[in-house]
Amino acid sequence: MRFAVLQLTGCAGCEVSLLNAGEELDLAKLAYMPLVVTAHDVPGVDVLLVTGGIRTDEDLLKLRESASRVKKIIAVGTCAISGGVAGLGDRHDIRELFLANTHQGRVPRMLPKCRPIDTEVKVDNYLPGCPPVPSLFVQLLNEPESLKSTSIVCKECGRRKPKDVRPTTLAHEIHKDADPELCLVKQGQLCVGTSTRNGCGAICPRAGFPCVGCRGPSNNLIEKDANAWFSSLIKVFAHMTDIDSQEISEALKSPHLALFLFQFSDYSDTELESRPKEKVL
Amino acid sequence: MTTTIQFPISRIEGHAKVVVDIDEGKVRNARFLAQEYRGFEQFLQGMPADQMPVIVPRVCGVCSTSHHIAAVEALEHAYGITPPPVAEEIRHLMMVGQLVQNQATSLFFFTLPDKLQATSIFGADEKIGHDMLGSISKMAMAVRKIGTELISVAGGQFIHPVKAVVGGVVSGIDPTAAKAMRAKIKEALPLACSLFDEYWQLTRKMERSVGKWEDNDPFYYMVAVDKNDPTRPVDHVTMQKSDGSETITFRPRQYKEFLQFHRVQDSYSSKTSFNDLPIRANSLARMNLAESTGTPIADGYLERFRVEFGSPAHQILLFDLCRGIELINGLERADRILAKNLYDGEMNVPVVPRDGCGFGLVEAPRGPLIHHYQIENGLIVRAEFVIPTVHNNFSIERALTSMAKRYVHEDRIDMGLDRAMGWVVRAFDPCIACATH
Ligand code: SF4
Ligand code: SF4
Ligand code: SF4
Repeated sequence: MRFAVLQLTGCAGCEVSLLNAGEELDLAKLAYMPLVVTAHDVPGVDVLLVTGGIRTDEDLLKLRESASRVKKIIAVGTCAISGGVAGLGDRHDIRELFLANTHQGRVPRMLPKCRPIDTEVKVDNYLPGCPPVPSLFVQLLNEPESLKSTSIVCKECGRRKPKDVRPTTLAHEIHKDADPELCLVKQGQLCVGTSTRNGCGAICPRAGFPCVGCRGPSNNLIEKDANAWFSSLIKVFAHMTDIDSQEISEALKSPHLALFLFQFSDYSDTELESRPKEKVL
Repeated sequence: MTTTIQFPISRIEGHAKVVVDIDEGKVRNARFLAQEYRGFEQFLQGMPADQMPVIVPRVCGVCSTSHHIAAVEALEHAYGITPPPVAEEIRHLMMVGQLVQNQATSLFFFTLPDKLQATSIFGADEKIGHDMLGSISKMAMAVRKIGTELISVAGGQFIHPVKAVVGGVVSGIDPTAAKAMRAKIKEALPLACSLFDEYWQLTRKMERSVGKWEDNDPFYYMVAVDKNDPTRPVDHVTMQKSDGSETITFRPRQYKEFLQFHRVQDSYSSKTSFNDLPIRANSLARMNLAESTGTPIADGYLERFRVEFGSPAHQILLFDLCRGIELINGLERADRILAKNLYDGEMNVPVVPRDGCGFGLVEAPRGPLIHHYQIENGLIVRAEFVIPTVHNNFSIERALTSMAKRYVHEDRIDMGLDRAMGWVVRAFDPCIACATH
């Protein structure tokens, strides 16, 4: 199976992660990926992985051209799925500031919004993560049938959640891992592993840092809108802690969480329906 | 009449092209133009300052560790906090892991294919026989992976690390994990050396066929590391004139007094100069200014380098060889850090956030990186990123222009121009996602 990687506007982290899976992949079949392969255009391949969002007119052109030559398209990473970190600029005040800063020379023209790739081309599968960890790429390319996320990050984390430990306030700035066996939520931290799809091996909470949800919502939330997702998270915190739900609700709106939590639900100004969960890996 | 030829550049981080302007058969200039932009300096405005260490690594997936740590340090500077020494060691290990990862990627994945006339390292496998691990790409991947594993051990995950937090690090490094990592380094070191020896020979061969890539006009080298341990960051930036006649240092908060920023038509990246001259940061700057690498095998390579090429050495091609010396130095240094106790004691100090302004300085693989934040009511009102690739831009263009002149004649343009432009750019290992952010 020949494959290619089209890099739109992103940070190259997704490509670097793929490279780390290199020992288990047959990269001689990698026909195009500007980061490591010199080739002019996306050739006809079986699978095209697209990383990054549509930020410029050039991104748009390259995506449309390549799509016509490939059999299957997979959106890889938050940027391709929702616009990602560049999408944080899609606030009205910032957009004006941003566009005023993009100059008039002969450079790729900025579109008003950094868009997900499925607003332009038909996407066969989504592989969420910022970036998806290398083992997910191995599964995706070597045994795609085996790649089904059915659970949540907590299952891979394995920290204890004793019923009688109930923090009453959020430990905001302080990311201390006082007890490496104890669930971070039980330590008053805003870990969203309880609703995030599994597959990453819980690398962040295992290292002592709360999950920010980069893999996106788990299957039972993925087709629902942002509000359902939001209230479900608040319910989880009410169940596990005695922290005021107003405080949780404010904290969940933080940009670094919102960026990932709602990567599947921001269709407010498009005609698109939510992504069917069968397509999300 | 002016003719303009464009070359998109692959095997670098990000989207960029080289444009060569030719007047009546003579090269007028060659420009290096960044073609992407996300607008971090704008969209960070209004965001909670304490989230910077999670958001800003997304500037770049290749050198995210530098941004992660520069962000934490800028906030600590603003809050007036000094992290415990063990946390500093763990952060240092993260940076050394990144150096290993980056130099291995640049050497083997970006520039080695040029030296073998291949389009990628995977294509190079056919051109070069190897019996150790079967193929050169597999060997290169194994060495590179040590870098990413080091970042994971120290930083939790390797693309966008999470373990550095304001006040310290979230957790230490378990002695069992440290021991396992040291065993892997021990195994990888000879592999890295033999790859680098091969690379050295190929560089010599390339030099014989394409000649030296000299640039003897004056410029400044720029570094922010310890002279006796070039993996260790210091609190100031050093600028040294290429002929050694002048050395100036400044603190990160003074960067605007010392560096001149130039906006560029047709590019999303600006360029910096110092005393109206180009700047060179990155491996060659660090190796030229170092007294020693502080570790034995890398010191052996540095000595050999100085015997063969002189000291200081200015050829463009030598950036790559210096990356190799740093790769070895990074592996040896990581082993020494892992031998320390990185587990016992306090990993972080209490934090009381406050408003104000903070600067963070680290030496990224491409040179000194500065983050500057201004904080009001706990929110970012201004964020500035002073990026090493931006410092190199004038030097890249000067090298491109002199190289292009070899290929452009009154009556014709030689075929190799396309390839040669790629060689020159890759020697500087620019990072476009960072440069434009
Ligand atoms: S999804 Fe994350 S890792 Fe991938 S390109 Fe976007 S910011 Fe980088
Ligand atoms: S720390 Fe996070 S991921 Fe781990 S069990 Fe608790 S909520 Fe789940
Ligand atoms: S733990 Fe959460 S934030 Fe970290 S990689 Fe996994 S899904 Fe992403």
